[in-house]
Amino acid sequence: MRVFSYEQSERLAEVLNRWGVDYLFIGKSGAFFYGYPDTTQDADLFPAKSPENGKKLIGALRELGFDLTPETERDLLAGKDFVQLRTGPFDVDLVFAPDGIETFAEAKARAVIIDERFPIASLDDIIASKRAANRRKDRESLPRLEAFREYLRKHNLVALPQNPR
Amino acid sequence: MNTTWQEQQEWEREFDAAARRSLRERMRYSFVYNYKPVLDDAPDRAFDTMAQYRQWCKENLPEYLGYGD
Repeated sequence: MRVFSYEQSERLAEVLNRWGVDYLFIGKSGAFFYGYPDTTQDADLFPAKSPENGKKLIGALRELGFDLTPETERDLLAGKDFVQLRTGPFDVDLVFAPDGIETFAEAKARAVIIDERFPIASLDDIIASKRAANRRKDRESLPRLEAFREYLRKHNLVALPQNPR
Repeated sequence: MNTTWQEQQEWEREFDAAARRSLRERMRYSFVYNYKPVLDDAPDRAFDTMAQYRQWCKENLPEYLGYGD
């Protein structure tokens, strides 16, 4: 059983940042950093799609303990749109071309750095991506996620406080 | 999807509760293991395009997981 933990998110960010990987948290796991209360199993990452970033990503994933096959390494370098990894200390979906987002550069320009180390796609982009994906599970989760965005706006917050006490 | 006033009030209470927790606590409650048949049965998967991934989900995953239309 490989449940992603806060400590692993810290380690993930530390290693990816040290390797210079260009990436953002996205999806529901990204929304959690804003304070959105819900559950999921895996971390969704949106890495920039380039051979150079792919090489850095492979190095970082290996350091994190992912057992990458040569085929998976080729996939990461080849610029596949979606790579799902279940061979590491936690489950990760690498989404190189999320629905509803034009380019990584645009998403990065709108992203928010939470706790000075976690780069998170904007809540607007997370919502836009779910809206464009339009799977049943996305349609079911959107109203509550949009209500959370309104909650933050009402309280003039980018994200809920990280240490409220 | 239409939401009721009661649902919105419930969500507001959940957001208020989340606001009283630290990021570390929120993360602890957010990631849970929930075995997903087929999806979790292979170590790695890769798709050239998101459209191919969506199609694979539609054709291979149980409908109740919600990955289809």
